[in-house]
Amino acid sequence: MEHGHNEKHLPANLGAPASVLRWRTRAIIASAIFAALAIMDLIISRRFDYVLRGWLMGLMLCLSVCIGGLALLMVQWVSGGKWGLLIRRPLEAMSRTLPLVFLMFLPIAIFAKRLYLWARITDPQVALHAGVIDAMQAHAIAYKRPYLNLEGFWIRGIAYFIIFGIFTYFLNRWSLQRDSDTKHGNWFWQKRFENLSGPGLVVYSLVLTGMCVDWVMSLDPTWFSSMYGFMFIVAQGYAALAFAVLVVLALSQYEPVNAIFRVTEQHDLGKLMFAFVMLNIYMAFSQYLIIWSGNLPNEIRWYMNRITGGWGPVAGLDFLFHWVIPFSLLLSRDIKRNKRKLATVCCIMLFARFWDTWWLIAPNFPDQRHNLHFSFGMLQYIFVPGAMTAFWLAYFFTQLKARPLVPQNDPHLPQILEPEHAHA
Amino acid sequence: MPVREGIYGLLAEFNTPTELVVAAKASYNAGYRRMDCYTPYPIEEAAEAIGFDEPKEKGVAGVCLLGGILGGLTMFMLESWVSIWAYPLDIAGRGMFSWVAFVIPAYEWTILWAGLSAGFGMLALNRLPSPYHPLFNAPNFRNGATSDKFFLCLEADDPRFSITESRSLLESLHPVSVVEVEH
Repeated sequence: MEHGHNEKHLPANLGAPASVLRWRTRAIIASAIFAALAIMDLIISRRFDYVLRGWLMGLMLCLSVCIGGLALLMVQWVSGGKWGLLIRRPLEAMSRTLPLVFLMFLPIAIFAKRLYLWARITDPQVALHAGVIDAMQAHAIAYKRPYLNLEGFWIRGIAYFIIFGIFTYFLNRWSLQRDSDTKHGNWFWQKRFENLSGPGLVVYSLVLTGMCVDWVMSLDPTWFSSMYGFMFIVAQGYAALAFAVLVVLALSQYEPVNAIFRVTEQHDLGKLMFAFVMLNIYMAFSQYLIIWSGNLPNEIRWYMNRITGGWGPVAGLDFLFHWVIPFSLLLSRDIKRNKRKLATVCCIMLFARFWDTWWLIAPNFPDQRHNLHFSFGMLQYIFVPGAMTAFWLAYFFTQLKARPLVPQNDPHLPQILEPEHAHA
Repeated sequence: MPVREGIYGLLAEFNTPTELVVAAKASYNAGYRRMDCYTPYPIEEAAEAIGFDEPKEKGVAGVCLLGGILGGLTMFMLESWVSIWAYPLDIAGRGMFSWVAFVIPAYEWTILWAGLSAGFGMLALNRLPSPYHPLFNAPNFRNGATSDKFFLCLEADDPRFSITESRSLLESLHPVSVVEVEH
């Protein structure tokens, strides 16, 4: 087959299409609507606590697409592959939303005493005698005090963001420098990115474990699970990959992404999504199996709070949305190679993250554990995260618009412009 | 099995994969379905050109799915039968039907049987191993099919096949040669 005839050419303008601004306007409108609903709901229910709980859920969702984007960015630098080139700029834009996520974290730290039992209880013995907490909680709070205290919560929280900020800053800065650099070869840049990303992935898994232990797991101070951090890491990859693929599928209708978009890489990304679907259920089921086998009262309570008292169907649907539906759909080669169908799978996976985060957070609080019931406060789990994620989306589109969508001076670029399966 | 006699098909030889793909597409569009491409290395376009992606051709995917489902169900039912009826053991008060523990072996069997079904199903659907194939009667096929030649064979059991018309179709596609292959 002769070369050059079918080769695609990059358009002169590599910036994001004008549609991105239209999507941003829609996101801002959605955010405003959700925010108005949340305020109305606060006036009706008069429960500020529920706003904070919804806020924590929104924080974890925005965090998973922001830091998850950074993690996938580092993965594609160390693994290589043309799929990485395709989603690199969306991933960079996702990682650059870190300042917004930091602002979202501040209310959680400021109102920590209204959210976290360990922060509210100053003296576990006094609280135990007053009947506010039971013996298991009093013991756990006293035992974990060296880690779970407000000073540590603030210091660690800020340190997490500084560490991720350093990685975000350099990976984004170098990527832009490489675009205009013709002096240094590919080898120079490749080594530079690899040397930062390899250790970065180790640091990422440690820091992220700290983040989810501090912010979500510590809502129930009595519970232990060494699998928890990995569950969040894999769930982040799940959410961030689904989101990045959705963005690139949407962008592929327009220049310049349509020039580098091929079915081969779409198929590869679909297979990677399938791997994350499997890994996610592997983590979630392992934790369940270990705790079920151990059958210890202090561990099992966490699951009982989430399975009994009306939460059973929620947990069942979580399994359905998270694994059964995406797994069954992604088995098919045709669905992975069809833009519209793959985009639908991405939406289902992102919805599953909403559902799962709600199931992880809501049953931690005394009025909802063991006892799923409707209250106007519960609606804040829809309104507040809705407003936050929509606002995050608007900020993401601003970041996406800020840079060319096709990275330059990458050896994968001429390859991805070739027709698929070029032979002889 | 009785010895089959007569013509197996018409074999056209090409020097480049592009010519092969063009010829395969032309034959497919002319209505031929029972045909095959033979190349020294995999060429996805050739598979697409002879309609390999059509739903009725996806036998291996179906066999693999069926094998996986049957493997998983079999193991799960075996474990349930052992724990509930054959050798009931109540471990730490979890009940006889402790499905959580059954999931992992059932999952492993799903993978095992899906893999074995895909492997052996592929061989069976390709009628492999096949110690005899009529195409090896053609000397140019023997010499070139595994090194540098690209072949298209229109098989005689295709309803559209006719020695004269099929030959003139193939010859219009600029082959190096077109030969009749005996069974």
